[in-house]
Amino acid sequence: MSETTNTNSSGSISTTRRRNRAPRKPKKNMIPVGLAAALVFVIIGILLAQRSAMLGFFWMTGIAFGFVLQRARFCFTASMRDPYLTGGTSLTRAVLIAFALTTIGFTAIKYGYFAKGLPIPGMSYVVPISLATLVGAFMFGIGMVIAGGCASGTLMRVGEGFFMQVLALVFFVVGSLWGAHDFEMWKYLFISKGKSVFLPDIFGWSGAVFVQLLLIAVLYVVALKWEQKKSNH
Amino acid sequence: MKEVIIDSLGEACPVPLVKAQNALKEMEVGDVLIVQIDHSCAMKNVPEWARKEGHNVEIEEVDDAEWEVIIEKTK
Repeated sequence: MSETTNTNSSGSISTTRRRNRAPRKPKKNMIPVGLAAALVFVIIGILLAQRSAMLGFFWMTGIAFGFVLQRARFCFTASMRDPYLTGGTSLTRAVLIAFALTTIGFTAIKYGYFAKGLPIPGMSYVVPISLATLVGAFMFGIGMVIAGGCASGTLMRVGEGFFMQVLALVFFVVGSLWGAHDFEMWKYLFISKGKSVFLPDIFGWSGAVFVQLLLIAVLYVVALKWEQKKSNH
Repeated sequence: MKEVIIDSLGEACPVPLVKAQNALKEMEVGDVLIVQIDHSCAMKNVPEWARKEGHNVEIEEVDDAEWEVIIEKTK
């Protein structure tokens, strides 16, 4: 903490600051490093694709997802936490828009298979909802706020070189393995007692899309109103 | 004009923001708060929150992946 005698507070932040700071050291040119990294990515991609096309595809999509997440600073943790912490809901609304887009996209894919009479892909993810869902989501929420990132956010920031989150990643792996190890027990004791719901079975295909988009739209409006209310206090 | 510096280097996302919020509450109009951050997510939400509250905000990248968010309290 430092006191200065400068009373002129209007617009002189940067000039006052630069005066008492050591000159910044020149930045290293990172372009050669970036090119070398890109070359390494391509070589590893080719090697993986020779073993299995799927591995090569995962490598590519993984890097692409990581890049988009990092540049967009698309933080799922913040989308759930910031409405409470700061009243800001811009990320919450971004997630809702992403949900709306995936609703349309995945319905299109699933309906495409359904219309041709083929087995619908991804139906193994239609799992029972029960109290276990609520408890699990709540625990995950606490964990991700303490760790400062959800699954994708933690991975992305480990890639950025943020050391504290390497620790989060270690325990993320430990927890996942432990969860997978005991999953059958949880499934038998709690999860299988719930009811699995596939919205198109209840509302029909177009009805399901409509209901889900309506729900997302309602949440979007609520988020917008919440932000306005919080910023006009 | 008082200048408060918060060293949040090495601290993950919500911590710098909460510290900044608490520090700014104690400060007078015209005081300057400097938050030192090396977490890319906090680099986004600290300035976003401060701008929404109506303060003057400047961001400076002092080193690779190390930022100073300079907030002047305006109200």
